[in-house]
Amino acid sequence: MTAYLQVAGLDHSFGGLHALRACSFTIEQGRITCLVGPNGAGKTTIFNVITGFLRPDEGSVVFRGRTLNGLRPQMIVHAGIARTFQNLRLFTDLSALDNVMVGIARQFGEEPLGAIFRPLHTARAQSRRRQEAIATLEHVGLADRAHDLVRNLSYGEQKLLTVARVLATGAELLLLDEPASGLSASALDAVMALLRRLQSEGKTLLVVEHNTRVVQQIADDVLFLHQGHLMAQGTPERIISDPALAEIYFGGAL
Amino acid sequence: MDFLYSYIVLAEIYVLLGLSTNLLVGIAGIFSVSQAAVFGVGAYIVAHFMMAPDPLSFIPSLAIAAVGCVALNILVTLPALRVSGDYFVVTSFGIQLLATAVFTNWTAGTGGANGLPGIPPPDLLGLPIETTAQYAWLCTGAVVLGCLGFFLIMRAPFGRLLRAIREDETAVAAAGKNVLRAKVSAAALAGAFAGTAGGLYATFLSFIDPSSFDLDASILLLTMVVVGGARTLAGSIIGPFLLLALPQLLTLVEIPTTIAAAARQLIYGLLLIMFMLFRPQGLAGERL
Repeated sequence: MTAYLQVAGLDHSFGGLHALRACSFTIEQGRITCLVGPNGAGKTTIFNVITGFLRPDEGSVVFRGRTLNGLRPQMIVHAGIARTFQNLRLFTDLSALDNVMVGIARQFGEEPLGAIFRPLHTARAQSRRRQEAIATLEHVGLADRAHDLVRNLSYGEQKLLTVARVLATGAELLLLDEPASGLSASALDAVMALLRRLQSEGKTLLVVEHNTRVVQQIADDVLFLHQGHLMAQGTPERIISDPALAEIYFGGAL
Repeated sequence: MDFLYSYIVLAEIYVLLGLSTNLLVGIAGIFSVSQAAVFGVGAYIVAHFMMAPDPLSFIPSLAIAAVGCVALNILVTLPALRVSGDYFVVTSFGIQLLATAVFTNWTAGTGGANGLPGIPPPDLLGLPIETTAQYAWLCTGAVVLGCLGFFLIMRAPFGRLLRAIREDETAVAAAGKNVLRAKVSAAALAGAFAGTAGGLYATFLSFIDPSSFDLDASILLLTMVVVGGARTLAGSIIGPFLLLALPQLLTLVEIPTTIAAAARQLIYGLLLIMFMLFRPQGLAGERL
């Protein structure tokens, strides 16, 4: 049986910094996998490689039997993998609704000729897409902020919006970069509930997360990364209770 | 009366250029300072075909100019698809200087620094357009179409995509969109607008020379967009009408004609700086 997502032998250097070393792991469909490890372990680099923003020096990424190496980021989204960013990267001058609508795939009127010469068709298609986008916002609990500019949303709301934007792409494997960091306790609960809901709807999640409480509560699997290499893989209980890993994670490596 | 009409015609030609510049610079964030070069190529192409031994009429010449400028603007902005922000301004600056050099030195094609006189007036499907008033109607028609196109694009997904690209190309790619393709489309559209404006300009003045299409002209276009207001339709209309009224106002002040051009340039520059510092959203726009 081929794995849902298979990352094999990834190697990548930034000049003298060896960010990934022979990094390999697999992810199973329908599960929430947390990627943990100390700062600089290569977690975001892995995301950048899987989503096509970075070409690895060595290694391959295979998703549902299809090799993704060399595909451009937008092609990888079409293949079914979408990501969020640690620093959010929302379109702050656009409304929450427009941020989500940018993510919707294959819209009529995204080409200038269609927009100019078939304005009515464009408008009708837009109103359907707008309903979809509002439903997506409702899903993450932001329906009442649809028409607000992103810069007027709270940090917690902006984090939820990044999830809404990847949902709009229709991707089935979502790579979420620290969806819970910097959130208040109540916002944290909302995000965790959302992630579980996405899982129950059939999405597969790969999540970079630092908060061990969050990892314990949502993860089915944990990948422990250290110096660009996969050190351990297992249930959250096993990873968190491993004294050697805790040593690395909480500063033993210093 | 003719004076008022010719002011309207020129302002409307610059509105088309303003739409072009606003689309590229304001909305898509491709900071081009070579739009006047594209404008010039449009003007020279129309002049060339209408003055050929076997002349074409106005509309086909204009169509060729528009298509030529679409291709040219894609080529010219291609570096922007590879290099970002600051680097592109420098590249674009170089392209503008290169174009001016060609306009000035390719005497056989452009008449060189002496310019190209005797460009025939346009006709519309056999109907000759000779008076300035008729010309104003022609340009009004072109501007209405241009504004309609701009408006439709702004409210379509394409407009939203360009605005998103201006903010964060990486995020747009992560949302599954082809950034390159959208930028090429924006450049093509801006080229069509600028080429059409060039054709109208050449036939209206019946004489063109490189000074209308130099770096100063590109800066003037940017100033119009900044003063009028970036990223809005209203801004693209207000800017040209206001800035072209300025030289007329200057004639009311008693200054020697020898320094009038320099004074105008000085005022344009000051306006650009003042607006950037104190009102970057222009009179009717959003922050650039």
